[in-house]
Amino acid sequence: MTAIGQLQELYNERGKRARQLHDSGKKVIGYFCCFVPDEIITAFDMVPYRIQGNQSAPIDQADACIEPMACPFARSCFNLALKGEYDFLDGFVAPHSCDTVERMYHIWRHYKPAPFTHFINVPHMMGPSSDEFYQQELRFFIKELEKWSGKKLDIAKFREAIKLYNQRRKVLRELYDLRKSDPPLVSGIEVTQVLVAGMGMPAAEHVELVRKFIAEAKGRPKPKTQKVPRIFLWGNEIDDTAFVKLIEESGAHVVMDDLCTGSRFFWDDVSETDGPLEGIVDRYLHIHCPRSNMPQAETRKKDLENRYGYIGRFVREWNANGAIFYIVRYCDTCEMEGPDLREYLNEMKLPVLMIEDDYSTSTIGQLRTRVQAFLEMIAQGD
Amino acid sequence: MTVEEKGQAKTTAVKGTESAGKIRAMVKNIYRGAQEAKAQGKKVAYFMVASQYDEILRAMDVVPIPTENYAGLCAAKRDMDRFLLKAEADGYSQVLCSYTRIGLGFDSLRKDLGDIPEDSPDGGMPKPDMMLGSSSVCDPRFKWYQAAGRYMDVPTHSIDVVMPPVFSDLNEVRDYYIKYQKEQFQGLIAFLERQTGRKMDSDRLWETIRLGDEAWRLWYEIDRMRIAVPSPMPAQDHFNVMVPAYYYCGTKEAVNFFRGLYAEVKDKVDHKVGPIPEEKHRILYGGGLPPWHTLWIFNYFESFGAVFVIENVYRGYDPVEVPSNVKDPVEYLAWRTFLRLTQRHEKAKANSGNPVVERLLDMIKDYRIDGVVFHACRSCRATTIGQVHMKNQLGQFTDIPMMQLVSDMVDLRDYSEAQWKTQISAFIEALSARTA
Repeated sequence: MTAIGQLQELYNERGKRARQLHDSGKKVIGYFCCFVPDEIITAFDMVPYRIQGNQSAPIDQADACIEPMACPFARSCFNLALKGEYDFLDGFVAPHSCDTVERMYHIWRHYKPAPFTHFINVPHMMGPSSDEFYQQELRFFIKELEKWSGKKLDIAKFREAIKLYNQRRKVLRELYDLRKSDPPLVSGIEVTQVLVAGMGMPAAEHVELVRKFIAEAKGRPKPKTQKVPRIFLWGNEIDDTAFVKLIEESGAHVVMDDLCTGSRFFWDDVSETDGPLEGIVDRYLHIHCPRSNMPQAETRKKDLENRYGYIGRFVREWNANGAIFYIVRYCDTCEMEGPDLREYLNEMKLPVLMIEDDYSTSTIGQLRTRVQAFLEMIAQGD
Repeated sequence: MTVEEKGQAKTTAVKGTESAGKIRAMVKNIYRGAQEAKAQGKKVAYFMVASQYDEILRAMDVVPIPTENYAGLCAAKRDMDRFLLKAEADGYSQVLCSYTRIGLGFDSLRKDLGDIPEDSPDGGMPKPDMMLGSSSVCDPRFKWYQAAGRYMDVPTHSIDVVMPPVFSDLNEVRDYYIKYQKEQFQGLIAFLERQTGRKMDSDRLWETIRLGDEAWRLWYEIDRMRIAVPSPMPAQDHFNVMVPAYYYCGTKEAVNFFRGLYAEVKDKVDHKVGPIPEEKHRILYGGGLPPWHTLWIFNYFESFGAVFVIENVYRGYDPVEVPSNVKDPVEYLAWRTFLRLTQRHEKAKANSGNPVVERLLDMIKDYRIDGVVFHACRSCRATTIGQVHMKNQLGQFTDIPMMQLVSDMVDLRDYSEAQWKTQISAFIEALSARTA
């Protein structure tokens, strides 16, 4: 089977590999969002598992425990847990990434208690004192893992894990480089499948498959240049191909993203510092998530550049000529960030379509007309 | 739909105490006072209630403008739509915190008009000299002022307010939580010193802390007197008297107000005077921001003999004792924050696992509660998510009736009077069945 075939299988049967590992005696630790360092869990010979929802499955049990005005992604994840689909998790870790996930920690541990549960307080503010506080929180996390596993953290293994995840980041960036050409060598659908598959398997295995896939993609016959819009995608959770497929089937290429299931979770490396935790803290606290508050720069213009300069670079380097925001409803921080980012991108003369959605494939039909109209507008602009 | 079409011209509730009647003037004074201060060249700041930094602002003579309270005021005046719609036209989602939407919509209109929008409630909010956010309570409270930057280029500073998770070993985490909190306050002070051009005076800070603590001690004692039967002060009064506690924290006005309220409530307890002639059911307002657009609903409950005797929102903390060896006022504030936010951690660990459930269980027992009402606000994640779970948890300890009403704190589009009345009717029936 081709590498992309294997990755697609893992994407379609999420949890399969982690379940196998759990059944063979490995400890699998499920976690939410981008703020739980995989490296720490891996250094304990455990398997980190990024918890995902299911956009195609109705949320039919969670309402008895959590309000419908909570983030539908988090509710979907919890719904799957209630149905037993996450019973292979030996541990559950929630970071204080947002109000909903903070509440979800309490709710999840009550209705689906796991042998190990932990909550990591992640500062919203950024600065030296926040770094130190987060480092203390991670030390506390390590101590709790040591207590539970009966093993001390092996610093050599910790350093190895940092190297491993940096390797994975490197190959994923290489994968993203294949999207720079016109047309891109890999589709947005394939990239989504690759990334989501990787969230549920050991990083070393993922690195191998992604490398193979990159080689396969490079060996494909060179596609003809097409004059279709190149889209930059921004938002929070897109762990299903449905929305990306809608864009690409409507006549565009999704070429770059800033999503918590996309570049946001892997883009920057961890510096290999003398004290491994320092590099981890520096990297994880500077993830560009709207839930983190960058200190204000002197003027509005500078402030926007300070907050979104990296997105500006993404747009230029990947030559995007339109941006689509996909905001999962009830995400207050994304809802507030959207208009600011739109202002920044419009300043770059980049048209923006802002979509708020329910984290459900059932709404795709309603979105089709809006996406198509947006793409037509870009095409006419060209 | 207009107010008249909805047939809901009335928003406020009849209060149980005379002291609560003084609050309207205090609210007016917040906004008019800020306008006057601005005209006199004093520094005025947008700020977030319950950020634990109130006394710092007072000690620096920075005049605070509570933007969330302004949203509640607009709702009570039924003058919120123009601000909500303006924010939504600017791209903010209709499910985003409605306090935030009103604030951003107001700032947007003020920018467009070049002046405070005409006939704004209580004269409106002046353009601030600075904005002070915080991560205390919810996410929008630090994002809001960042977003408001599109309407005004003013200095903005936010701080973290951190609470350890309930299952942590407090002895293990205490030092670094307090250290971080202290550093966050120090960062705020440094920012204020830059903005005001003056240094923080420690003696002055101790004085405002003393005033803040005294007001909150009196407030706590008043709430303990509310254990009495009949209730001397119903919840609709609480939603008024929180104004001096939160928006005048660190001032003599707050202390004086609570001294007067204390005397009045004590007198009512001594003479067994309640808000209605016959108190049949004692209700706990279990959580969720109040429906500022429809506070008269408390009187509607009273028409069935049901009085809200205590509430779990905009609530003060039980008094805490900071170790006497803490001699630095900023460190005192950091300690006080930690102790306030971990008050029921140990109890929760030993029982339900949830500090809020522990507080509710304490209230149910102490206040002889017959039923609990929650208010789910569609646009408030922080005070709404977890209510169903709390109801489930409470159900393991008590069999009293509980109900969740759904609307929003200020957005009337999420409210249905007919639906509420149907639910309330069924709830009263359940309460009556138990009494019978």
